[in-house]
Amino acid sequence: MSTETRELKGTQSRASALAARNLKKSYDGFEAVKGVDFQVRRGECYGFLGPNGAGKTTTMKMIYGAVIPTSGDLQVAGLDVRRSEREIKRLIGVVPQENNLDDELQVKENLLVYGRYYDLPRKLALQRADELLDFVQLTEKAGSKVEQLSGGMKRRLLIAFTVTNNTEIVVLDEPTTGLDPQARHLVWERLRALTAEGKTLLLTTHYMEEAARLCDRLVIMEGGLIIAEGSPKELIEEHVSPQVLEFRAKPEDLERLCPIVEGPADAVERSGEALLVFTSDAEDLLEEVRTSGIAVENTVYRQAGLEDVFLRLTGRRLIE
Amino acid sequence: MGAIRLPSPRGSFRVWQRNVTIFGKYWKSIMAPNFVEPLLYLAALGLGLGAFIQRGGIDGQSYIQYIAPGLLASNAMFAASFESTFNTFVKLKIDRIYDAIITTPVNAEDVVAGEYLWAGTRATLYGTGFLAVLTILGFAFEEPLVTSWWALFIPPMLLVIGIMFSVMGTLFTSLIERIDLYSYYFTLVVTPLFLFSGIFFPVKNFPAPVPQVAWFTPLYHAVNVCRELATGPSPAVLVDVAWIVVFTLVLALIPVQIMRRRLIG
Repeated sequence: MSTETRELKGTQSRASALAARNLKKSYDGFEAVKGVDFQVRRGECYGFLGPNGAGKTTTMKMIYGAVIPTSGDLQVAGLDVRRSEREIKRLIGVVPQENNLDDELQVKENLLVYGRYYDLPRKLALQRADELLDFVQLTEKAGSKVEQLSGGMKRRLLIAFTVTNNTEIVVLDEPTTGLDPQARHLVWERLRALTAEGKTLLLTTHYMEEAARLCDRLVIMEGGLIIAEGSPKELIEEHVSPQVLEFRAKPEDLERLCPIVEGPADAVERSGEALLVFTSDAEDLLEEVRTSGIAVENTVYRQAGLEDVFLRLTGRRLIE
Repeated sequence: MGAIRLPSPRGSFRVWQRNVTIFGKYWKSIMAPNFVEPLLYLAALGLGLGAFIQRGGIDGQSYIQYIAPGLLASNAMFAASFESTFNTFVKLKIDRIYDAIITTPVNAEDVVAGEYLWAGTRATLYGTGFLAVLTILGFAFEEPLVTSWWALFIPPMLLVIGIMFSVMGTLFTSLIERIDLYSYYFTLVVTPLFLFSGIFFPVKNFPAPVPQVAWFTPLYHAVNVCRELATGPSPAVLVDVAWIVVFTLVLALIPVQIMRRRLIG
């Protein structure tokens, strides 16, 4: 390879860690991913948000070579996923949706065996294992069996796996699903530490809070397509009004409330027992509700969030 | 992606190494039954049944001398078959170890080749231990069971024999979705091979087509190889070795492709 092309390749991968163009995957006639485009910059945390079955996991699997795209183009660190499977896997670390730690090995042994898959010399692997156990706060568990770890500890150990090889890109498929709040916060903290080190993070989640806290940019997927893209702030500004009033009342009172708020509000949504009113002037709207004299049991005033965007775009129905 | 995938030696070695690490932790507790089982056959059939077999035995050997080397071959078959069926199935479908491994630079095809090597290694370890036991027992009974220095070639041949049975077991594993289905494999493949491959009686005395059919089965040749090496081989053993090598090479890449398709969507 000439110096020129090497430099060119270098700059490409510096600019974008990942690039997908019209990426599709179908299984026996079922289209799991129906043509998605995205570009992930180096060093950013990029999120894939969406209900179950939206195609998030399939997209992740195409990145780490567990699923081969049906068509379209996917480049990881400037390399084609179809042609450079091994090279790409050397550059990325993966936390799959299911914990698949090696149960027959102890915690530290897991890291050492994992290091061997990346051809890490034993001495370096031992040193890295100690550093990483410290990084994910599992030093005391080094000699424990994997099955003795809690769900949160297992996830942290998997996060340690992903950077065993000093990888630059970390792919996490629902890293905090099923964890209690304490464990979730610990995982978030470690993930932020990874971004602080300059790693590129890709994560899927259906926790809006997680996406809002961690992601620089994100996409919302539904039915195998990307339906929105941007930073959490941009998405909120673009798709919903900044303020939300939630009114709770008897169903018949909510019926009567509807026509009153519909005029001044930017949008009104019915969500079970509550009426969600999106506006940029909550004060005025509240005043109107008060003067109407309708008995409202409970009013909540809050800032609009990603969850509102998500529900606006994907609908308030139950998606199975 | 119709291209045939070839395993990389490096990746296969890493998978083999993982199994060695785990075996190193538990070998003391799992090795014993594998020695005991052939000894039971040796005692029951070699000594028990053998007492009723006329003097002069088979081909000039006593009955226990006749069956001992054959049990070496079947021991290797059983070791490699269990490894490539139940153990591989658990790693594939229950513990999902392979899903984790293939996210690293180790590929699905390396996983399969690494497992072949490991099953072969396990067959060699067990078989070599059993060979040592046979040699010592022979001295103890003053009825040598291993009579040739050629027996030193038995361990490397057990590796090849183990890999052959691992390829067969992995092929079956790659095709099934439920662990219960192994009863078919063991009842219809492994047990008939064990009984009709010339371990307990010479197949050549059977009417046609039994000897001809036996020639096309893998354990028959493995038994011939072990028996010849234990007692001093004739050049005909090369045919058996060639049969084993060719059969293994022809079959080896098929489970690799099927397993790759199972692991990668």
